[in-house]
Amino acid sequence: MSVGFRAVQWNRDKIVYDAILIAATAIYIAGFAAIVWTANPPKNLPDAIDVWIRAFGTAAFLMLTVILCIGPLARLDRRFLTLLYNRRHFGVLTFFVACVHGWLMIEWFAAQDALHTLMPELMTLADYGKFIGFPFKALGIAALLILFLMAATSHDFWLAFLTPPVWKALHMLLYAAYAMVVMHVALGIMQYDRSPLIPAMLIVCFGAVAALHLLAIWRERHGDRGPTLTADGWIAVGPPASIPDKAARIVVAPGGERIAVFRDGSEIGALTNLCAHQNGPLGEGRIIDGCVTCPWHGYQYRLADGCAPAPFTERLATYRVRLSGGTLEVDPHPLPPGTPASIHLPNGAPLA
Amino acid sequence: MSAEIVLFLAVAVYGAAGLAVGAAFVTVAAGRVLSAPGASQPVSFTFGARLLILPGAAALWPYVLLRWRRALRQP
Repeated sequence: MSVGFRAVQWNRDKIVYDAILIAATAIYIAGFAAIVWTANPPKNLPDAIDVWIRAFGTAAFLMLTVILCIGPLARLDRRFLTLLYNRRHFGVLTFFVACVHGWLMIEWFAAQDALHTLMPELMTLADYGKFIGFPFKALGIAALLILFLMAATSHDFWLAFLTPPVWKALHMLLYAAYAMVVMHVALGIMQYDRSPLIPAMLIVCFGAVAALHLLAIWRERHGDRGPTLTADGWIAVGPPASIPDKAARIVVAPGGERIAVFRDGSEIGALTNLCAHQNGPLGEGRIIDGCVTCPWHGYQYRLADGCAPAPFTERLATYRVRLSGGTLEVDPHPLPPGTPASIHLPNGAPLA
Repeated sequence: MSAEIVLFLAVAVYGAAGLAVGAAFVTVAAGRVLSAPGASQPVSFTFGARLLILPGAAALWPYVLLRWRRALRQP
C-alpha cells in the first residue's frame, strides 16, 4: 500500500524470497550446463553456446510453469501463499532468464556467421503453414514480448494507472505466452532432439498447470453452493458463530459475485471478496490489527466501511448486514465503495 | 524496400518515440496523471520508481500520451 511510489518496497520477506529465487535459478542453470557439458562435451563454440541456450531455455520454461502453478496451489492450500507474495519478482526474473536465452540464440547464429539467415527464416510466410519446419523462433519471440510487457508493467504504478481490471487482463496474457512457449518447444527442439526428456518435461509441466487449474476451479465451484435467499432477497449466511473470529465466510450472490462476511469479535461486516490491489481473495485473509488483511500482499481495509486506513486511499464495496432471528443475512446489492455498513451484535448473541 | 527493413524501421520508430514520450512522462507527468482532480500535490515518485516505470511507459506510449493529454485538460 502506498501514497507515493518507490522502486521496490523492500522488507525482509522479499529479500529472502528473492535471494532463494536467484540462488535456485543459478544452481539450476549451472547444474544443467555442468551435466550436459560432462555427458556430451561440446566440440566447438556453437555447441558450447547451445548448452547454455538449453540451460536458460529450460530454466525459463520451468519458471513459467511454477509461476502458473502458484495461483491454484495457493487456492488449494494456504501454505503456498508464501510463494504468491512476491510472484511479480519471480516473473521479472523469468523475463531476464528468457532474454538471455534469446540473446544466446543470436550469439549461436553469429558464431556460425549465419546471422543473415535469421530474418529470412522468420519472414518466410509460407513456412507458417507447415508443422515440420514451422518458424518456432517466432513463437519464442512473441512470448518474450509478452513477458517484457508484463515485466515492464509489474510496478504498482501500472496497477493504479491502468486500473486493476485492465492490469489483471494484461497480465492474464501470461497464459498465452505459456501456450506459445509450449509450442515453441514442441515445434522446435522436440523435432530434432530425440531425447525423451524434452517431451516428458513438456507433458509433466503442461499437465501440472492444467490439472492444478482444473482442481482449483472444481474446488471453488464445489464450495459455491447456491445462496439461500430470504423472502426479501437477502442471503442467509448462518448464525454469527458460524464465522470464525477474525476471519470470514464467503457467500455467493445470485449474480455470482463473491462476498466476504467477516467477524471481528461482535462486529460483523461484509465486503467484496476482491482486493482493490490485485483482486486477491480477501475472504481468505484474516483481521490483523483491526483491519481485514488480504492474504496475497497484505493490503488492509477497515471492516466498518471497506476503506484502507489513512493515509492510504483504496476503498472496497461494502454490503448491508442484519441479524434476523439469530441468522446473519447479507443484502446482495453492493453499496458504493467506502460506505459504512458493519453491525455490532447485541450483548448475549451466541458467538462460540 | 524489403519486408525486413520495413519491419526494422517500424520497430525502431516506435521504440524511439516510446523512449522520448516515456522519458518525458516519468520526468514531469507521472505524478500528475494519478492525482485526484483538484489535488494540490502530485503523487510522489522516487528516482528508482521513475526508472522502473520508464520501460512500460515506452512500450505503451500511445496510451500514456492519451492519458497525459486527458490529465492536462482536467481543471
